[in-house]
Amino acid sequence: MSGADIELRKVHKVYYKDRLEIPVLEGLDLDIAAGEFVVLMGPSGSGKSTLLHLIGALDSPTAGSVRVGDARLETMSERQRTAWRSRHVGFIFQMYHLVPVLTAAQNVELPLLLFKMSASDRRERVKTALDIVGLAERADHRPNQLSGGQEQRVAIARAIVTDPDAILADEPTGDLDAKTSTEILELLNLLNAEFGKTILMVTHDPRAASYGRRTLHLDKGVLSREETRAVRPPAAAASG
Amino acid sequence: MQNLRRNPLRMGLTAVAFALPMAIFVAAISFVVTLGEVAAHFQRQLRLGVHHRTTLTNPLPEGVRRKIEELDPERSRLTAVCGMRWFGGRVPDTQNTITSLGADVDTFPTVYSDVEMTPEEIEAWNRERQGCVVGGNPATLYGWEVGDRLVLESTVPPYLKLEFRVLKVLDNKERANFFYFRRDYLVESSKDAGLNDPRCNVFWIKCKSQAALRSLQQEIDALFANSPDETRSEDENAFVANFLQAAGDIPGLMRAMAVVVVFVIALVAGNTMMMSFRERTPELAVFKAIGFQSGRVFLIVLAESVMLAMFGALIGIVPAATVLYLFPPRGLAVGPISGLEVSWIAVGGSFVISLLVGIVSGLWPAYQAMRLQTTRALRRTG
Repeated sequence: MSGADIELRKVHKVYYKDRLEIPVLEGLDLDIAAGEFVVLMGPSGSGKSTLLHLIGALDSPTAGSVRVGDARLETMSERQRTAWRSRHVGFIFQMYHLVPVLTAAQNVELPLLLFKMSASDRRERVKTALDIVGLAERADHRPNQLSGGQEQRVAIARAIVTDPDAILADEPTGDLDAKTSTEILELLNLLNAEFGKTILMVTHDPRAASYGRRTLHLDKGVLSREETRAVRPPAAAASG
Repeated sequence: MQNLRRNPLRMGLTAVAFALPMAIFVAAISFVVTLGEVAAHFQRQLRLGVHHRTTLTNPLPEGVRRKIEELDPERSRLTAVCGMRWFGGRVPDTQNTITSLGADVDTFPTVYSDVEMTPEEIEAWNRERQGCVVGGNPATLYGWEVGDRLVLESTVPPYLKLEFRVLKVLDNKERANFFYFRRDYLVESSKDAGLNDPRCNVFWIKCKSQAALRSLQQEIDALFANSPDETRSEDENAFVANFLQAAGDIPGLMRAMAVVVVFVIALVAGNTMMMSFRERTPELAVFKAIGFQSGRVFLIVLAESVMLAMFGALIGIVPAATVLYLFPPRGLAVGPISGLEVSWIAVGGSFVISLLVGIVSGLWPAYQAMRLQTTRALRRTG
């Protein structure tokens, strides 16, 4: 398992609403090395989520280039981006977005349904992912039988089950209490330190930001500030 | 499929809203199909009915039969003519009138060849003045079997009470409500009671072809035009239709009902699917974020709609068809319809219609899901 490096050059993103142009990113240049844990911070409307979406191939830039590993995302069609995304990126959202009628294992299995894989191989990978996040014993539980932290762990398992190059997390602890947030952040740190995953995390929480090797501050679509800190060693293995 | 369990109450109510109309749909279409089968049967029998132009209750003279027969002395167009007189009998101390008719003894077995009387039964019919041929429904209702003696009292003058002996119980559904006996027995008994009236309400003519039926129809009415006994000749389907229309345009009503049923369940299913789609917008956005192509998301939503429709159809159609199959309603008297049996055409057609309704009602939500802007949908939900 390993991560991919990310490179953005002169990236512009403009949204159009009722014929009004709304620039969100203005000539952004950014480099993220493979296996790095980077945090994005900034006020609302600064372009953090937009940047995440561009790197995750959920959207395409109005101008400029976005490279993740060997892939030039700005040259891809929507269909190509979707196919690329399924193999190379794992998403974690603030609200978890698990399917309520599926068990934890079935939720984690969802991305694997896009690949030609036997049912036994899928089961094996799901088990591995749930083991990593410490929820193997909750595999048959539905989301309404899990705590918020456990739901987010399932979402993380879903994000890593395809062994993506990069994990993109949009406010992963936004809906959690302090103790549970720490558990989730420790898990992300583990994925980065032990499995070499490139992690890009958007957050408003300075405490969460302290887990990143680098913190990038966005303001009005441009990088205004950058902080670097020492690599934080992962805590003991994640507990359920 | 598991998403159908997301809101069990809503899905359950939608399934019931689907099931009940589909059950009615099966019964309605079975009725229409049965009518079609009966009509086809009558058409094959090539019988032409001749009655008074004004009303069936005005009988025609007995001599009309001879005049009809004289139109075709070589018997190249007609096989036989059978005069019938309404008796309107009922079992004493009951209220239900049985469709009972006195028929010409010599030609009844020929004109009503679909009654399929055996040579022995014909011989008994010719020999026994009190012999009768009974339809399955009254036989079942009153427990009559071959050889039984029974009494019917007439509801028309001279209100005779006649005794009969059962020679045959009919098993064909087109004749299930009928009761035939010898008209000469009726005429003689009426004479004994003081009423000498050998007239007939209708003459049935067994024709040899459709062309023969049509030509005889015109010739007979032309023969009696401008006479006190003006006739109206019509084939058996047209004759029966008069009775059906007296009760309203039942086939048309059934068809209209079926169309309304399909329309209503399409609306219900479509509404449910739109509600489901709106609820699942963030989830569908995540599917796309994970890597599900738009076409696949379209199929997921469409499949859910189809499954809901088929599930509703299953819980409506299967019980309805099973009940109709195991306990077919007997004793109906809607024109020629004496009973209602499940039509497998109706059952198969109902499933096909349910499938189509599921597809049509799921198309718009599926299209919306396919076109969902992932980033916008994710942004909306935080």
